[in-house]
Amino acid sequence: MDIINTDVLIIGSGAAGLSASVYAARSGQKVLVIDKGAVGKSGSTVGAVQIASLGEWSLNGDSEETYLKDIEESGRGLSDPELAKILAGEISERINELIAWGLKLDVDEKKEVAVFSTAGHSISRSVSARKGKTGLGILQTLLKKARSLKDNLKTWSDVITLELLTSSERVTGALVFDLTENKLSIIHAKTVILATGGMGQLYPVTSNPVQATGDGFSLGLGAGAALKDMEQVQFYPVSLKAPQSVAGFCISFYHYSRLYNKDGHRFMADYEPWTLENTTRDKLSLAMASEVGQGRGTENGAVFMDVTHTTSRVKSDFPHEYEMCMDRGVDLTTDRAEVGPAAHFIMGGVQIDGNGASSVPGLYVTGETAGGLHGGNRLGNNALSECLVFGARAGQAAANESAERENRFSTSLNGYVSEWLQKLTGDSPVRGKNGVSPYDIKRKIQSVMDEGAGVVRSDKGLHQAREKLEKVDVLLKEAKAPSLKPYSREVIDFIESRHMVRTAKAIVEAAMHRTESRGAHYNEDYPGLETKPYHTSVTYLDDRFVCQRQPFKGDR
Amino acid sequence: MSVIQVKIERDNCEMSFFEVAYSTDMTVLNIIEEIYRHHDPAIAYRFSCRTGLCATCMMMINGKPGLSCMARAKPGEEGYLTLAPLPKGHTIRDLVKEV
Ligand SMILES: Cc1cc2nc3c(=O)[nH]c(=O)nc-3n(C[C@H](O)[C@H](O)[C@H](O)COP(=O)(O)OP(=O)(O)OC[C@H]3O[C@@H](n4cnc5c(N)ncnc54)[C@H](O)[C@@H]3O)c2cc1C
Ligand code: FES
Repeated sequence: MDIINTDVLIIGSGAAGLSASVYAARSGQKVLVIDKGAVGKSGSTVGAVQIASLGEWSLNGDSEETYLKDIEESGRGLSDPELAKILAGEISERINELIAWGLKLDVDEKKEVAVFSTAGHSISRSVSARKGKTGLGILQTLLKKARSLKDNLKTWSDVITLELLTSSERVTGALVFDLTENKLSIIHAKTVILATGGMGQLYPVTSNPVQATGDGFSLGLGAGAALKDMEQVQFYPVSLKAPQSVAGFCISFYHYSRLYNKDGHRFMADYEPWTLENTTRDKLSLAMASEVGQGRGTENGAVFMDVTHTTSRVKSDFPHEYEMCMDRGVDLTTDRAEVGPAAHFIMGGVQIDGNGASSVPGLYVTGETAGGLHGGNRLGNNALSECLVFGARAGQAAANESAERENRFSTSLNGYVSEWLQKLTGDSPVRGKNGVSPYDIKRKIQSVMDEGAGVVRSDKGLHQAREKLEKVDVLLKEAKAPSLKPYSREVIDFIESRHMVRTAKAIVEAAMHRTESRGAHYNEDYPGLETKPYHTSVTYLDDRFVCQRQPFKGDR
Repeated sequence: MSVIQVKIERDNCEMSFFEVAYSTDMTVLNIIEEIYRHHDPAIAYRFSCRTGLCATCMMMINGKPGLSCMARAKPGEEGYLTLAPLPKGHTIRDLVKEV
């Protein structure tokens, strides 16, 4: 087994991981960024369309205070005020830095930076780059910057993290599996930053890329970190349901659209008579899921989206999405599209402080894997801002801590060698025996989460989900040893399904402990709000989940 | 549902042939996933976004480079949908290039 040494190990190369890498490497530490896919091309960042911002382009009336207020209002009482304040205070500096490194913001007819409105923001403050391929633009800018720091910064594609390593309750590195050579390696690091993105793949319909299997939450749990408000899963309300090849594709212009149920009724008039479709994602998802749940959906379990009254605006503001629909046979100038909620983002995640430090020494977390900033509902376009601001902070803080530490710990692998790992190294006694395929296990997890922990939840559904996930655990133990040819899809599914189960269980535990409906968590047995807000906190100790309600800072 | 004949150029230019359940709205990536699920769990292919943005799913499709998540599956010459890794650079295995 190879042993690799670095100062700062960054797991994940989306906007958060790459931001962190640039800041850590600038301060002189040796940085290694690893990704289970192609570096800079495998996360949710790739698909992001716009970024919320403050800058010289800000409209009259916008300010740090208004931005902060919008985040807090949207967070339904759960947004961490310290994190929100940092975001509003530092976003302008971060975007300007990206512009200095080569990012070009899109401009309007007057050649001024184009500023877009986004549902939930009280004022227009979203900007874009590369004609709405903003995430890609940001990744390319960061990769270019990373290359200029190549003496300190190395990247490694196609290597998947199996576990974080710990020694004396400190995170000391990671056990990884090189998919191209089917080989285990140990990476020793003085500090580790988790930036593995989200978990949309825990659900059958998702906007997320195939890599978004929630590995970071599972890795954090394994290392002893606490996960906060994991029940807060955001469903993107308006995503295509048909045709199957683009199911989960997000429609960004839903605030211009009209939504109808199968009886032709514009149902948002019943739920949000003032804002109609131009409302926050939690409210829209719940309304759409309720219409379908009450039998007013289409055969595909969808509702209809109509933009025929405003197609020119759609074409000009969101050309990629318009063309994607057209290409798959949905002509928005004349047709209604079938749409429904898709798993999109998780507000919950590893609990962090303002520098991205988790509760476990040596472990930093940033981007979508971190929890707390968005509370119970993320405002559109705030995810990329989060990645830039907190990626930079985590990178800087991890590098500072690494600089202060002289030695790396080496960790013995004894505690990690399981039958599961043996299946991966080819030493397994069960190799070659029949068993459930890793792909079927993934599908099973998705259907359990869809039935029990989707948009509309209930006590009974959550209990059933918990029981079924226990059964999936057994399946996992009996799983067929995967084909060990390099890069076989089966090996990837085998590893990811293990992370998926652990993360799914954390979501279900957290959801069971929130006995109210707040933010993205709706439990039909408790449709109202409890008077005193609290966070849920999940940890994993000796193979068991422990979930607690946590009072707010300052509360008792 | 009908079927489509698929020919994949794999390691050492070896060819694999598959007969895959098919409907006309399927993309090339849908076909490869079908092969993974029902025919060959060891097949190696790369993709991420499924929406034409990341370009990691690029391969030779009926002799021309294309994004497998965007291209509709269609038989080419001799009635086969023919897939191969991109010609340039090192192939890790099957359809996956080193990045
Ligand atoms: C379709 C879509 C559209 C969106 N639009 C917007 C938008 O317009 N504005 C906005 O602000 N936000 C948007 N979001 C949300 C936003 O894009 C994401 O929350 C954000 O980009 C996450 O960035 P990240 O760096 O945390 O993770 P990601 O970009 O997801 O990157 C995580 C990386 O970690 C790697 N990884 C995961 N597990 C492992 C492992 N075990 N070992 C090694 N590597 C691993 C993955 O391969 C991936 O490359 C959108 C999301 C989607 C899916
Ligand atoms: S999977 Fe991203 S472009 Fe095809």
